[in-house]
Amino acid sequence: MIVEVERVSKEFVRGEQRVRAVDDVSLSVGQGEFVTMVGPSGCGKSTLLHLLGGFLEASSGTMRVAGNVVSRPGPDRGMMFQDLALFPWRTVSGNVGWALEVQGRPARERDEIAERYLQLVGLRSFKNAYPHELSGGMKQRVALARLLAFDPAVLLMDEPFGSLDAQTRELMQEELQRIWSETRKTVLFVTHDIDEAVYLGDRVIVFTARPGRIKADIQVDLPRPRPIEVKKSTAFFDHRNHVWDLLRDEVLRARAEESA
Amino acid sequence: MRRALEALALPLSVIAIWEVLAAAGALPRYVSRPSAIGAELWQLARSGDIVEHAAVSLYRSMTGLLIGALSGIVLGLLSGAIRPVAIFFDPLVAFTNPVPKIAILPVLIVWFGITDTSKIVLIAITTFYPCFLAAYAGVRQVQPAWIWAARNMGARADQVFLKVLVPAAMPHVVGGLRIALALAFILMFASEAIGTAHRAGLGFLVIFAESGGRFDLMLSAIATIGLLGFAADRLLLVAARRVLRWQPEVFRA
Repeated sequence: MIVEVERVSKEFVRGEQRVRAVDDVSLSVGQGEFVTMVGPSGCGKSTLLHLLGGFLEASSGTMRVAGNVVSRPGPDRGMMFQDLALFPWRTVSGNVGWALEVQGRPARERDEIAERYLQLVGLRSFKNAYPHELSGGMKQRVALARLLAFDPAVLLMDEPFGSLDAQTRELMQEELQRIWSETRKTVLFVTHDIDEAVYLGDRVIVFTARPGRIKADIQVDLPRPRPIEVKKSTAFFDHRNHVWDLLRDEVLRARAEESA
Repeated sequence: MRRALEALALPLSVIAIWEVLAAAGALPRYVSRPSAIGAELWQLARSGDIVEHAAVSLYRSMTGLLIGALSGIVLGLLSGAIRPVAIFFDPLVAFTNPVPKIAILPVLIVWFGITDTSKIVLIAITTFYPCFLAAYAGVRQVQPAWIWAARNMGARADQVFLKVLVPAAMPHVVGGLRIALALAFILMFASEAIGTAHRAGLGFLVIFAESGGRFDLMLSAIATIGLLGFAADRLLLVAARRVLRWQPEVFRA
């Protein structure tokens, strides 16, 4: 197992109040698996990703990635942030090669690697553009190339397509699937879009409303590669409805708690 | 070309109206005619007098600005990034910032005499503040996600500082520099007007000409200060555009 989460909890202190965001979560992810995580908003699924990234410290429990205990951020766990966090003062290729620069790799090698991953995401001709000159979908692809360029063992993706319009989003899902099948990275992917979760995942993990626990861990046995037409099949529909039924109760519970 | 003409339209028409009014005798004697000022400027430029005064003034203001801006930017960036540094400098700066810096000139004169040094120190102290405050604010306003991303990619603390915080703070720093540049010219004039040792500098020239009733000379010196200030600001903007070419056009200084 490349990712092992053992009985991890996370509490935040807000003034007098203690808020339990993640409650006793255990999870194992195998090498090369694509795991998607869905849950009502505020259920702690993003928090779990930030814990794995080493940006937050768990209140209890342990996490291991490739056998090493997670204690701080590191390039073995590549994080794709909700707002991408591209560096606007760097060109596309400067962004993609940034991690390699920090490692002290020579410029020639950096450019080669950046070029290769920009090729993979279809943006080679934009290598000298600045992020503000790109569309939303193109920025996503730059962020993905930047992530792949430093070759992390695990990709942690926090609702990366949340800000895209529906069509671009579908294109990006297909693209990510293609890139994943070429690189076979282990992926943990947080989303609130059930279709996206079922389409991309080998497994879909459903979280409860706060405090976030794992409610269900569903195998998605749709064959790969999955063309986008898979979304019209009855097998896809069955999975989707299954996840939707599980999630519905939680969303209602979360809403009841918010208005209480 | 068209834009240059449009930009010049207002100043040129003001000068034209001024000339006509002065020729008609509608203006007091101390407002010299633009043509007289122009002739005087030409004369001063040819004799090299104005160049000497301008060179002395520029030496004082730019040396002061260089020292003040450099120390302000470096300490501001460090204060933004490192908490203990901020705890040391922030109250000090906040407490002394509201003091009009020209008020300490007498202290500096007692200390350094009526020399270039007292002027340079005054300009350095004055320009330190806007640069420090801008650099500090620039670092404090860096998106936390950029720092997270940098650490995620394995950056050490010094790399986060040099490769994330510093470039991200640059737009603020440029804004601070522009303010500092304007202050350098103001303080240059004020300190030269109060006193100069070897009768040199544009501020000295203004006061000297005024006391002698040479209003064409006085206005020529003022015009030179204006031209130098304008040129310096344009140069700074050109440099800033190069450094900030990653910013969308609308946000550029």
